[in-house]
Amino acid sequence: MLSVSGLRKEYGEVVAVADSSFEVADGEVFGVVGPNGAGKTTTLKTLAGLLEPTSGEVRVAGYDAKDPEMRRHLGWLPEESPLYEDMTAHSYLRFFADLYDVDRKTANERIASTLDRLELDQRERKLGNCSKGMKRKVAIARSLVNDPDVLVYDEPASGLDPLTTHEVIEFTGELAERGKTVVFSAHNLYHVEAVCDRIAIMNDGEIVSQGSLDEIRAAHGGTTYTVTADARVAGYDAEPVAEGYAYELDSMDDVEALRDALDGEILDIRTEESSLEDVFLSVARA
Amino acid sequence: MTPRFLRVARWEVERGADALDRRALAGVLLALLAVGAAAPTLASNAGTPDADIYPVAVSDSSPYHEPVERSGPLRPVAPGTDAVLEISGTEVRAPDSPTGRAAAEALASAVRAYNDRLMEREPDRAAAFPVSVRLRYVEVGGSTTGGAGASTSDSGDTGTDADSGGSGATDAGGTGGGSDSSGGGAASADSLGAAGSSLLGGVQQGTPGDIRPPFPLGSLVLAFLFLVPLNVAIQAYGASVLNERINRRGEALLVTPLSRSEIVAGKTLPYLLACVAVAAVVALAVGAGFLSVLAVSALAGLFLGCTFLAALFARSFKELTFLTTTISVGLTAYAFVPAIFTDVHPIASVSPLTVVVTQLTGAPVELGTLLVSMLPTALAALVCFGLGVGIYREEDLFTQRAPPAKAIDALAAHLTLRRCALWGALSIPFVLVAELFAVAVLFVLPLAVSVPLLLGALAAIEEVAKSLFLFAGFERGRLERTDATALRAGLLSGVGFAVGEKLLLITQLVGLPTLELGRLTVAPAAASGPAALVLLLAPFALHALTAATSALGARRSTRAYLGALGLAVLLHVAYNATVVTTLA
Repeated sequence: MLSVSGLRKEYGEVVAVADSSFEVADGEVFGVVGPNGAGKTTTLKTLAGLLEPTSGEVRVAGYDAKDPEMRRHLGWLPEESPLYEDMTAHSYLRFFADLYDVDRKTANERIASTLDRLELDQRERKLGNCSKGMKRKVAIARSLVNDPDVLVYDEPASGLDPLTTHEVIEFTGELAERGKTVVFSAHNLYHVEAVCDRIAIMNDGEIVSQGSLDEIRAAHGGTTYTVTADARVAGYDAEPVAEGYAYELDSMDDVEALRDALDGEILDIRTEESSLEDVFLSVARA
Repeated sequence: MTPRFLRVARWEVERGADALDRRALAGVLLALLAVGAAAPTLASNAGTPDADIYPVAVSDSSPYHEPVERSGPLRPVAPGTDAVLEISGTEVRAPDSPTGRAAAEALASAVRAYNDRLMEREPDRAAAFPVSVRLRYVEVGGSTTGGAGASTSDSGDTGTDADSGGSGATDAGGTGGGSDSSGGGAASADSLGAAGSSLLGGVQQGTPGDIRPPFPLGSLVLAFLFLVPLNVAIQAYGASVLNERINRRGEALLVTPLSRSEIVAGKTLPYLLACVAVAAVVALAVGAGFLSVLAVSALAGLFLGCTFLAALFARSFKELTFLTTTISVGLTAYAFVPAIFTDVHPIASVSPLTVVVTQLTGAPVELGTLLVSMLPTALAALVCFGLGVGIYREEDLFTQRAPPAKAIDALAAHLTLRRCALWGALSIPFVLVAELFAVAVLFVLPLAVSVPLLLGALAAIEEVAKSLFLFAGFERGRLERTDATALRAGLLSGVGFAVGEKLLLITQLVGLPTLELGRLTVAPAAASGPAALVLLLAPFALHALTAATSALGARRSTRAYLGALGLAVLLHVAYNATVVTTLA
């Protein structure tokens, strides 16, 4: 559904994205994470056809991203929700539906259905008088007026309260269930973990790692084994605890080695999977 | 299915209507109604704001009745009616008040003008307007000066004494020193618009009291009504375009299937149509025709085109206000100043407003005048929009850069080496507008001053036009910073410019080359024979050489570009001076 090959974007002397490549399959939710300035937004804007790559190829729904026809198959949600504040939610969405050649009846049905799902009732209120959460919902509804195959969302829950954030993230997951292909970026890695099938971690304009969450963890984090023993073993870092000493080890081999060296008993072994945040921090710091 | 740009236009109108406060809308409608209501009054009274302000009680049989009736500020009323002046027999009664004294003065003037008109009908002009000459001989250092001719009209109390008679230009025939020596041309008191020929040397007869400006003042005032709505429209249009850029509001439009041109066309169309509609209403109210609306439409295009660029360059509404004010003043001057000379001088054809003034004075609009007044304006508008569409994209629309930097971005947006010739040719409409305006501004100066100034101005305008986009191309990395590229780009720009320059030939349609200054602007077209061939080809060499010179500087640095540009201007001035000398 979506492929990026050798994408490079330069702004004069600045390289915003350097030779990035990835693919996203139909119905997949793909997350792009990375620190500020990593090149996430530039990558997403290139997917949306807003920016022209300096080099490389971007194909969306079978079209080159530069092809205006591609835009019929794409829904775009920018990081902020700047809307025409003198319009109502309904007239704003009708305006965009009109530009996508969606007939009035279909547009009205689609708008009503999306706004119902997003629980946005005040559809005739001027957007300038709406809350940030309401505006975000209208912006999400706008990205769906043309019933696109691919959705590119930049920080969909940015700046929203926890409740609205939950609604938006949940809705994003639903979109994938409806067969939409979703690419989105987020700072909040819990959102990515909750929704994404695969992710790409970007840093300094490059994709430093990509794959499923398990693959990423395996490559950059994995499992931590916390062993509690009643004695201290020379050569191992240990933290005194109530029951004795706690050892943090990276593999079962290390656990077995500790057991062999231990002059005492192992009281407890706990395993802990690395969170995406741990992985992200280790990659970013690296 | 409705074209997509029309859909944008429709929604732009609906949004605008939604955004407009009802009271503001009512205010605008009232203002329009007031203008509409005032227009016929202005049409009948324009140029004589003091018309009929002093009622004079005078009977129909009184010899004063006709002078009063024909006077502008006086209005005859029946005796016994409330009036400022009362005339009974030869006695005039006026209250001792400022109004009374002013009315009495107006009556005196009216009677003098009436008497002068009577005298004009006399076949013996010398008897009607006798001239007294007072000679005084004064010995000065062994030589004698004398004969300080002084003309005095018979009606000495009109103030036309020896001094005002004017520099001894009394014609021997004694046909009224005041008129011939005024320099401004005297028009008959009844004919405001017929004075034009006097400035060009036509013989006018009359008295100094009859002297009126040779300009169609009434028509000019009415023509100004066409400019006012344009100045209002660009404020709304500029705000609408800038609103798309504030907080990236317009980004969502850029991901729709619409092209940039469709978006811009859709956003612009309502404002252009509003300008044309208002122009049509004003035309209807003041009695102008379709051609006036057409000419004002071209002007509206230029107002909107410049505002479009300004709104793309501005970083805030404050900056936009500054830019639109500059546009308002500049383009209003461009339209209005030349139009003042509608009845006087072919230079007036530079302005689209001249078409309006011509129609209002009842004269036919010639095709040449229409083309010269509209084509450069309309083409310049199109180039403005073209440049703007080039940067109507995410990378340029939402960045906060200084307006000059944005202007450089716009010039460089779609520039390639191959397109340098096209860019050179596309600069011609602006050059034409700027040069014709320079001619219009400078032509009132003495030739000894205006010619050198114009030679410099023309060279500077053309050299900047040919090279600024090359500088932009090098600055934005669109052109490779090598001497070879600079030379090729300069040559292409120069040749493209020279080809486009042939557009200046349209000025022949209005006889501009017959003017001294006009000939400077369009010299090759005005020559004939082998000289014409040389002058036809020489510009290609000149423009290629000077553009290449500037390009070589531009590829290095800003300072080097300015230096090279100065050199190119000097070369150009030398060329212009040679051409002028040759033609002379």
